Amino acid sequence: MKNSLCAFAIAFGVLSCAFAAFAMTTTNPVRAADTKDTLTVGMELKYPPFEMTDEKGNPTGISVDMANALGKFLGKKIVIQNTPLDGLIPSLKSGKIDLIISSMTSTPERAQSIDFSNPYLKTGLCLLLRKKSNAQTLSDLNVAGRFVAVKQGTTGQLYATRNIKQERLLVLDDEAACVLEVIQGKADGFIYDQMSVYKHWKRHPDTTRAILKPFQEESWAVGIRKGNKELLDNVNAFLKDFRAKGGFDELGEKYLKEQKDAFKQLEIPFYF
Amino acid sequence: MSLSKIFLGPEREKAVIPWSLKAFNFAVAFALVAFVFYFSFHQLASPLGWEPIAKYHSMYLQGWLTTIWISVISLVLSTVIGLFFALARRSRLLPLRYFSSIYIELVRGTPLLVQILIFFYVIAPAFQVENRYVVGILVLCFFEGAYIAEIIRAGIEAVGQSQFESARAVGFTRAQTYRYVIFPQALRQSLPPMAGQFVSLIKDSSLLSIIAINEFTQNAKQVNSYTFSTLESYIPLAIGYLILTLPISLWSRWLEKRMKYET
Repeated sequence: MKNSLCAFAIAFGVLSCAFAAFAMTTTNPVRAADTKDTLTVGMELKYPPFEMTDEKGNPTGISVDMANALGKFLGKKIVIQNTPLDGLIPSLKSGKIDLIISSMTSTPERAQSIDFSNPYLKTGLCLLLRKKSNAQTLSDLNVAGRFVAVKQGTTGQLYATRNIKQERLLVLDDEAACVLEVIQGKADGFIYDQMSVYKHWKRHPDTTRAILKPFQEESWAVGIRKGNKELLDNVNAFLKDFRAKGGFDELGEKYLKEQKDAFKQLEIPFYF
Repeated sequence: MSLSKIFLGPEREKAVIPWSLKAFNFAVAFALVAFVFYFSFHQLASPLGWEPIAKYHSMYLQGWLTTIWISVISLVLSTVIGLFFALARRSRLLPLRYFSSIYIELVRGTPLLVQILIFFYVIAPAFQVENRYVVGILVLCFFEGAYIAEIIRAGIEAVGQSQFESARAVGFTRAQTYRYVIFPQALRQSLPPMAGQFVSLIKDSSLLSIIAINEFTQNAKQVNSYTFSTLESYIPLAIGYLILTLPISLWSRWLEKRMKYET
């Protein structure tokens, strides 16, 4: 008697679990996302002044302001979803987020997985070197016994994979860790974008030096799920409107004044 | 299907389960797990695609081999460290005893992530240790060593005080007492949990990826950032670790059973 009761209880439990699983997963997340009146924007809040948090942990920065302006333009509510850089494209593909505004470079490799809007910013990859290094170009670093730091998931990593031997690469999760490797002399150089390299060089002038001339030009764009033509057109319309109204200049003045002036002096063209 | 096929009778613990029944019921449980996974993966918005991952198979193999050799070295070294600190914690030399306590509590009470960062960026450069693999293995050994020390200490303390006294009564020195009386019995107590600790060690080695050691997890992360296929990049990782941990886990289960008979 006791045994059959137990068997019944177990069978019931298993069946109800199966039903619960069925009920929870039958809604397709991709279709659900398109009809909402909120847009979920994915970005990695680790890239000041573009994506960062204020002292209270609220998202802020150029990309956040851009996202909010886009929401106003389209009449939709914006939700910011903090997502690691190498998880952004998988999140977009699986419908967890609707847009990527995360200082993402549009590359042919990424364009195979997602669609990109028109570019909104131009920058380039350059080098942060340790002070004592006598290297002048990236190829000077592609020598046995030298190491190059790159951040996981960045175009710097992609570029380095094609141009530097695997055993000389240090792939780290954090921008700050890459800089620390250079400061401590564990890495000879760090491949990153001009603005950040400039910023790190200014902060650590005794231990680092910067070669700001880019060896690869890049442009940043908004990432959108493939086949979402309507949103793509809307975003492109927004970018055009935002530029015409001087929105990008305003953001540049607000967040990047120092770099803007410094780059003018160094005669390196400034983006936006 | 009669209930006697899936239920043990009232004499359960003593009964030896026949092989056929074991296989049948294992298959039932396995099918249930397989069903949940199959069902969930079947509902994915974008189906899994393995072609982009297949290109990188040599990266997976390299990383897997690196994880193996890091784990093997750490396994041996952490056992030595653990044994040393287990004895040091019982030492009559008080500074050594307290040093050992501080070390064990410090290591067991803080995250491995923080230990790796502090060891690699602060302590190692101060002592001129530059090679990141050496640093990585050392951190891992000292981390696991603290746990192993506690396991061994528990094993030693499980051997009754009367045995120490009896050994002394028959004229054994302290070293002889440990060698012939305490260790053989402590080992019996400590081996099964230690095997479990070795499973943890293998998985913990994945954290070394944060200092750019090209082990299994690090290489899977890299494949993920080249291919943007998160699930496809990390599923081989789970399988690869399981191949390493499952035999040890089964071995620990077997040890547990065997040791039970002998006491």
